[in-house]
Amino acid sequence: MTDEKHMSGTPLTDLRRLRNQMPRWILILLALGALAVIASRVTQLLMMLIAAAVIAYLLSSVISAFERLGIKRSVAVILLFVLIAVFVITADLIFIPDLKQEIMNVYAKFPEFSRQIQDALLLTAQSSAGKYPFIESSIMKLIDHVFGPGGFLERTLNASEILMQATPLIMALVLVPFFVFFLLKDWPVVMKRVMDWVPPSYVETTISVIGEINIIVGKYLRGLAADCLVIGVLASAGLGLIGVSYPITLGILSGVTNIIPYFGPIIGCTVSSLVALMQYRSFDPLLNVLVLYLVIKLMDDLVIQPLLIGRGVHLHPMLLVITLIAGERLFGIMGMILGIPVITASLKTAGILLEHRREKLGRESAGLIKPHLAKSPIRPI
Amino acid sequence: MAQDTNIVRRYFSWVLDTTRESHLQTVSNGPLFKGLSKKLLRKLLIDLIEKKYAAGDIIFHEGESGKAVYVVLEGSVKIIKESNSENKTLQVLGPGSHFGELALIGNTSRYATAVAEENSLLLIMYKSYFDDLIRSNSATSSRILLNLAEILSDYIHHNQTECNDNKISP
Repeated sequence: MTDEKHMSGTPLTDLRRLRNQMPRWILILLALGALAVIASRVTQLLMMLIAAAVIAYLLSSVISAFERLGIKRSVAVILLFVLIAVFVITADLIFIPDLKQEIMNVYAKFPEFSRQIQDALLLTAQSSAGKYPFIESSIMKLIDHVFGPGGFLERTLNASEILMQATPLIMALVLVPFFVFFLLKDWPVVMKRVMDWVPPSYVETTISVIGEINIIVGKYLRGLAADCLVIGVLASAGLGLIGVSYPITLGILSGVTNIIPYFGPIIGCTVSSLVALMQYRSFDPLLNVLVLYLVIKLMDDLVIQPLLIGRGVHLHPMLLVITLIAGERLFGIMGMILGIPVITASLKTAGILLEHRREKLGRESAGLIKPHLAKSPIRPI
Repeated sequence: MAQDTNIVRRYFSWVLDTTRESHLQTVSNGPLFKGLSKKLLRKLLIDLIEKKYAAGDIIFHEGESGKAVYVVLEGSVKIIKESNSENKTLQVLGPGSHFGELALIGNTSRYATAVAEENSLLLIMYKSYFDDLIRSNSATSSRILLNLAEILSDYIHHNQTECNDNKISP
């Protein structure tokens, strides 16, 4: 009778019963899934927050260095921001004019470059027309798609489009430093609040999870930043030696795009190849650029990455590709960059939580576990 | 020189983290972190996680697998051993004391139960952090291991003397 009464409850009680029957980890997974869906809807804000978190993480070691001198965290953060401001102003006065000039040159010569690329592509199409007609038709389609009326270039260079695209950029330039400031200043307070909320029996497992995530994400982000810097310098130096124009701009572009796993180096190489093609109007220097990027990629995979990032962030190739595609679909480029450390940290976390669960079940089934040191001293414990 | 430091402290005290400095004093007096420089101790205090426990909170149970060592920063912790269904208090630890240190060495289970006797603030060093410290900062980790060995050897020596005294006494 009681059972019957229990079974025929209101929808709310049915929901409660379902919640009680469901293992907690399924609920956590569902909540995380819902969070991911919501996050994918407010991508712009989320991307700014993620960028701020990454920058704050990279800067946290500088803050720690100040704190090791006994300085208060809030003072250390203000001091760091003042130092960054001084650095930016100095760099603007000393180093940036050259770079600005280079970028302005590229921008001024863009219509000419665009025509040169069209000419080079037309030349290729004409030379391959006899042997490979499908290449000719593909190139003609590409020219029409990119350079034709209403094509990619016309849409991208449209003034109103540029303004529309610049608005979020200006917003990011204001909001990201704002987020970084508060993340750096208040992160320990947040951690303290989280720890106060954790029940005593879960403290060691929680700290273990936080520690593992910290190690994985820290290694990945610091390694990635150093890796991009090295790649940028190598690309700049290599392109300068080959004689390709604008080596600094192209080096910076190669370094920045290198953040995106797998596709980044391809972007850097393609842009540099196009510049070489425009400059020399022949395919020979292209080979030099390709060899340069191939050598840099090999050095990156075999020497730089193992040294800087290490083997802490390692995923199965299949899982890696799935992570990249899913990350790109959900959060764009940011999803591709951060997908790998997030999935690695999640797997590690799941492993620790499962171990905690197994231990708990083991203790429950065996009664109280026999003390390891049955006849050992009272202290240490 | 000392006067200079006092002047700095007087005029720039707003820049200094006084809470951390007082915790640093507490920790440096304990046997586990003995011999570490102030800079290294500050690094540990920045990196490690602090947790508040209310009076009566059980920090860990006897028989659980140990994964962290705890240092009392504020308050006090009671170490209890259950024998013949009776709880015997082995020790009450105050600020600067540590417990659960065997977790750093191996996968041992807790020999006794730790309970917060009053509202307490504990500094927690997790084993994986210590393992990472061994790889990245051998000076700090070897000093801590040396301190740990000293604590163990003192204890064994003390226990042996007690055993011998018991044999001799009528």
